[in-house]
Formats: sequence, C-alpha cells, structure tokens
Amino acid sequence: MESERTLALWCPAWAVSTARRADPTLAGVAVAVVERGTRGLVVCAASTEARAEGVSVGLRRREAEARCAGLVVIDRDPGAEARAFEAVARAMEPIAPAVVLERPGVLTFPTRGPSRYFGGDDALAARVLAAADAAGVSDARVGVADGGFAARLATCAAAPGGVHVVTPGGSPAFLAPWPIAVLQGVVGAQPEDGAAFADLLARLGLRTLGDLAALPASSVLARFGVDGTRAHRLACGAPEHVAPPAPAPPDLVETYELDPPATRVDEAAFAAKVLADHLLARLEELGLACDRVMVEAETEHGERHVRCWRHEGGLTAAALVTRVRWQLDAWLTGRDEPEEDATGGLVLLRIAPDRVVPATGRQLGFWGGDAAAHDRAARVLARLQGMLGHDAIVTAVVGGGRAPSERVRWFPWGEPRDELRAAPWPGAVPGPAPARVHASPEPASLLDDHGEPVRVSGRGDASRAPAELHSGALAGGGGAVVAWAGPWPHDLRWWIATNGREHASEPSRAGYPGPQGASHGLGNSVRNERNRSDDRVTRRRRALWQLVVKTDGGSEVACLVAVEGGRAVVEAVYD
Amino acid sequence: MTTAAPAPLPRRDPEARAHLREVAGQGRPVTLARDRSLLVEGPLGDLLPGGVLQRGTVLAVEGTRGAGATSLALALAAAVTATGEWAAAVDLEGTLGVEAAAAAGVVLERFPVVRGVSPDRWATVVAALLDGVTLVLAEAPRHTRAGDARRLAARARERGAVLIALPVPGAHWVGDVALRLVAEGGPWSGLAPGAGLLADRALKVRVEGRGEAARPRRGELAQAG
Repeated sequence: MESERTLALWCPAWAVSTARRADPTLAGVAVAVVERGTRGLVVCAASTEARAEGVSVGLRRREAEARCAGLVVIDRDPGAEARAFEAVARAMEPIAPAVVLERPGVLTFPTRGPSRYFGGDDALAARVLAAADAAGVSDARVGVADGGFAARLATCAAAPGGVHVVTPGGSPAFLAPWPIAVLQGVVGAQPEDGAAFADLLARLGLRTLGDLAALPASSVLARFGVDGTRAHRLACGAPEHVAPPAPAPPDLVETYELDPPATRVDEAAFAAKVLADHLLARLEELGLACDRVMVEAETEHGERHVRCWRHEGGLTAAALVTRVRWQLDAWLTGRDEPEEDATGGLVLLRIAPDRVVPATGRQLGFWGGDAAAHDRAARVLARLQGMLGHDAIVTAVVGGGRAPSERVRWFPWGEPRDELRAAPWPGAVPGPAPARVHASPEPASLLDDHGEPVRVSGRGDASRAPAELHSGALAGGGGAVVAWAGPWPHDLRWWIATNGREHASEPSRAGYPGPQGASHGLGNSVRNERNRSDDRVTRRRRALWQLVVKTDGGSEVACLVAVEGGRAVVEAVYD
Repeated sequence: MTTAAPAPLPRRDPEARAHLREVAGQGRPVTLARDRSLLVEGPLGDLLPGGVLQRGTVLAVEGTRGAGATSLALALAAAVTATGEWAAAVDLEGTLGVEAAAAAGVVLERFPVVRGVSPDRWATVVAALLDGVTLVLAEAPRHTRAGDARRLAARARERGAVLIALPVPGAHWVGDVALRLVAEGGPWSGLAPGAGLLADRALKVRVEGRGEAARPRRGELAQAG
C-alpha cells in the first residue's frame, strides 16, 4: 500500500511568533519561550536572534540566559499558541478541505485533490505559503512527501519561507540520512518514551533512519515490540499503520447538546470531557484506537466550526479535552477576524473519530498499581473536577524551598507531576515537617519578657529572647514560650531590585539556588498562583523562629513563627 | 464392536440458561470479615481493635490545634496508602502539611487533596470521594449537619470505604463513630530556650469506641513533627 501523499506546513518557533503577536515590542529582540520539563525550565522555542547567540531548544533557562545577554524569557502558553494558530488554519480552509491540526504550529493535509486542482505539488505549496503569509506568518515552511512523517521532515529541509517537495516514491531515500533522534516525539505514548527509544537505538549503533530501515522488520518486532515496528515502518517510508485506517463507524459519533447554551469555554470543556471519556470507552470496547478526531461545535445562531486534530501515539481523554478547549477558545474569543467568530453561545458539541485503526494494545505496568482502583479513583476525581473546577483537586510534590509553605508544589489532578530530584536545600527550616501549614499566615504577636514585640535586625540578631506568643491559630490563644530556636534570617530573591525589575544579565545570580523556588515554590495554592505571581517578583526579608509554647491548658504546642517587616505571623503548627 | 453414542450437546434453551445463572449466583464468593479490614502496622495498629481499620466505618480524630490530631490522621492515611490503596483528603482551609504527610509515609501520588471546598458542597464532595477511594480524610466544618453525617456514614458502609472525620479544632463530629481517637499532645523534645532543634515527641492518644473497643485504651505514638 502506498503512503498518502501529504503536505505539511510548519511555522518554526510558533511559541515565539505567538508571543510577538501578543506583544509587538518583542519583534527583533532575542526571545526564548521556556516550559517546565523533567529537567526544570528548559527552552522550547527560541527566536532567530536568540539562536544566533547560541540558545537552542532543550537548553536550561539559566544556561540560555548566560549565553545570550538581554534574552527575554517567556513562559509557554499552549492555549494562546492554539488560538493564534487558528488564523493560519482558517487561511488553509479555502485551499484544502481536510486540514489536520497536529499541534499549534504544524498542520497537514492530503494533497491528492488540491494538488491536481492547483496544477501540481509546487503550485499548491506556493499557494499555501502565500496564504500563510497573508495570515501573518512570513517564515512558514512547506514540505510535500509520501506520508505525514516524511512531509513533516521535508518542512525541516525547506528554507525559511520555502518549499521542499520529495518526488513520489522518493520518501525512503529522502528519509534515510536523517538522524535517529527525529523519531522522538513520534514514537511511544509519552514524549519521554520516544526520546528514550531513540537514544537506545543510537547507542546500539543505529544512527540514521536508513540504518533502522535496513533491518528486517521481523527482527525489529522481536526486539523492540510495537513501538519498534512503528518506528521501522516510519523509517522505511511505509504507511504508519499496518491495517489501512478505516472510516469510523457512524455510531461512534458522540454528541452533547448544551442547554442552556454555553458561553464559557469551561462549560463546553466539561461537556467535552464527558464526550471524550465516553468515546474512548466505546473505542476500547470495540478494540479500536483512533489517532484523528473531528471536533465540531455549533452556536445558537447556526454557526459551525469543525477542526480535525491528530495526535501522535493515540489520543487520551485529557489530550482530547485540551484540544477541544484550544479550538473553542480560539473560536469563541478570537480577535483576528471578528466576522468569522461565534456570535452566540454553544448549543452543540460533537466529537467523532475521523479514522480508526485496530488497537495494538497497551502493556500495563508489571509492578504495583491496581488498575481497577486507579480507574475508580480517576473517575470520581474527574467528576469532582467538573463540579469544583480543574484546580480544586490537586496532588502534591515536595520540592525545594526554605519555609514549609514554599516546599510543596501542587499539580491539578490529571496533569503530569514532575517529581523533583531530592537535593539539599541550603537555608531550609530543619527538623520535622509541620502538619499544619498556613497558606495565608495567621497574625500573631511575639513578645519579649518586657511585653515588647521581638524585633530582628537586618543582620539577623534578635532584640531580646521571645517570652510570649499570642495568636488565634493556637489553642487557648497562645501562652508562654518555653523553648525556642532562631531567628533564622531569610533574604528571598535578593537579586531583585526594590523597584521589582529583575537584573536580567547580572552575572552573580547564576549560582544562586533560587529560581526554582522563586518561580514555583511560592505557588502554594494553585488558585492563588496569579495573585502570587505578583509577590514572587519582589524581594522579601524575614526571620523564622521555631517555638514551643505552653498554652493555658498546660499543653505544649510547637509552631513556626515568621517575623517580617516588624509583624509576626504563625507560619505553621506542628499538629 | 459398538460405537459410543455421541454426548448430547449442551442445552441452550432459556430454561437451561436461567438454571445456569442461578447456579452461578450461588457460587458467588463470600466476603470474609478479614477482607473488609485494612491492616495497620506498628504502634498505631496496637491502638486499634484487632490492629485493623474496618472498611465501611467512620472514625473521628479530635484534639486541640497543636495536640497532634492531624499527624494522627495522616498516620492512618499512610497505613492505607502503603498497601497500595487510594486515600484522599478534603482540606477546608488549605492548611494540610503535605510534607508532613509524605514524612508520615503517605504515598502522595495516591493522595489527591481537594482544596477550597465551600461548606454547602462539603457533604457532596466527601460522598463522591467515598465512591472512589478507600480512605477519605475529611476535615469537617464547624457546623456539620447530623443528617449529612448520617448519610456519609451510610455511604461509607455501602462502598466499603473508611471515613476519617477531622473536625476543626474545638468542634466535635456530630455523627456516630466506630472509633474516636483523641490526640492529647505531649512534651516536645530537642528544643531548649535558645538552643537545639525541634526533634520529636511521644504523642498521647486516647481511643474510645463501642463493642470490642468499648473500654478506652491509651497509648503513645512517636511523632516527628
């Protein structure tokens, strides 16, 4: 069977383009977009100016800043990227009927019809580039080849604003010299799986796709399993699936009618979650998997919006809902072309698998994990998330930080938890962890034996020893201090000047263990992340005391008290 | 030589199917009492009757702030997650110290926390969690309705889950409980005036209950924070 001839359009560093659309002052400036990965904050896209200075994708933020002075670092926002990419997707609609969005920045479509209509692959590609340029993307690249994988690689071979056409039947020869690392991201359910797999092949001496393609398919299957076979087929330029993808049976279409009409994306996303769960459960029953999904929405005024989404390695419910959210966000709140946007609330949401293939199965973990208990918990938690909001159900990861409230990071349920490697954290509060940590610290008064508030000087010296602690957070309102340790002075984010601006290129900050704690440690509450992002850019100085207080009832209460700006607060209670 | 008559084909008429279903129903496994309990190891287990947490029961853990009620509840959650079960917490004020939970042995991956629950939705949330996880560590607001408490107890019994009610300091759980664990604090060691660091304490615990646990028992647990 022949691979379907495909055209791919790639807008390089789409995250940077998105940021520049939002903030025109970034044009011509070295920009890097970072996202949080397993290695901390790493660069996921960099502008040409930044790349000229040696900033590359995968570099850690700190190293990128060290290489390029004056680098503007921006946090990644996939939602905004998808919203901005909607304009490009719209520009393609008059050219090709079946546009498939791979991810923000990349789209593909089969060329069979359009290519003949416009007079060949080159003419079609020129038209696509012109349309992208009209949509505001001047550096887009187009690749045409047999199969989506080869077409995507062909975009990488094209010059900025150029086209690379691989002649029909030439895909195997075109693919052969590419390094094996291009397989990461297309093999395996998770990006890390693909990276590990590509790394393994490279260590075995298979350095190019051609090396892999030269192996017998049966040996690859025996040694590397399903993923290996898939990689082998891709490397050979063969179609991705052994069985030709079939159109989905019509009864798999999931429809949700929203009454009253949904005006917010959240409401529609909740409906999408129900649909996605149901659809995937049905597919699983039938032994099918689907890699392309049509998402269709309709407003009360009869406007329709359809997009086809594709995902490497199969769609999960969470991935599907994210895509629905992107699409609706772009449509309901789009700003570029108001006449194309929705004018009313959503009344109908439909998710249909575009094509299905037999599921190759999923190997469950051998050790640990009762899958049934996990599924039961996941169902209930997803339901609660629909009721209370995405951020209300969280799981925690204990990370670095000094005070207990800074040491915990929360991840909404369903999102990947990136476990931090345990590392010593200089200046952390020693001793056992308190069981009650006040997110909004309780006001307290810490007095010395004269009844005066205890002060801590800039050098970390206490005015007198603490003698009494009073606070509503303690049983009986507090009492006499019987034992104490401290004060431990903390000077947080000392590298930020008092006007709140960061000294971007100050060399001395490179060695400070702060940034991780600075950008994430303080976000003790997910809901308050936005509010807290204000205080994370200010310098804070405080002193911590560990105290044991004898309350009126005669019992001992241990607590952690912070003195900041002359005011004392109870940070935590050892309950 | 005679040929054996072929064995008759199994009957497939509705009557035979109904009979088969009946037989299958009789053969359904019986749930033993020990399957309905969760083993708790160590000194905490010694405090509980039989050394187990009975599934489908409600426990109240009480104590003034600082007396160690939270640590006690976290230790119970840790005992459950250690066996591969799921636990969840309802954190009313966002004050639960997750680091202390991890130190107590709670597996954080299987310990989702619900934060910012308004009091009018509290009972709904706890009921939903009882459907999904084995142990729910629920901080109870000051004015929990007796009707809610009764309904939650029924839900826990039906689902075979354990509800650990942790009333806010100074409040009491209004419903019936199988066990009431009262943390009574204890002297801290390690910290002196101006010297040392907080180390640990022997946490005094009083356990009251009915039936097997009618006679109050007392014990001490080592609490590290």
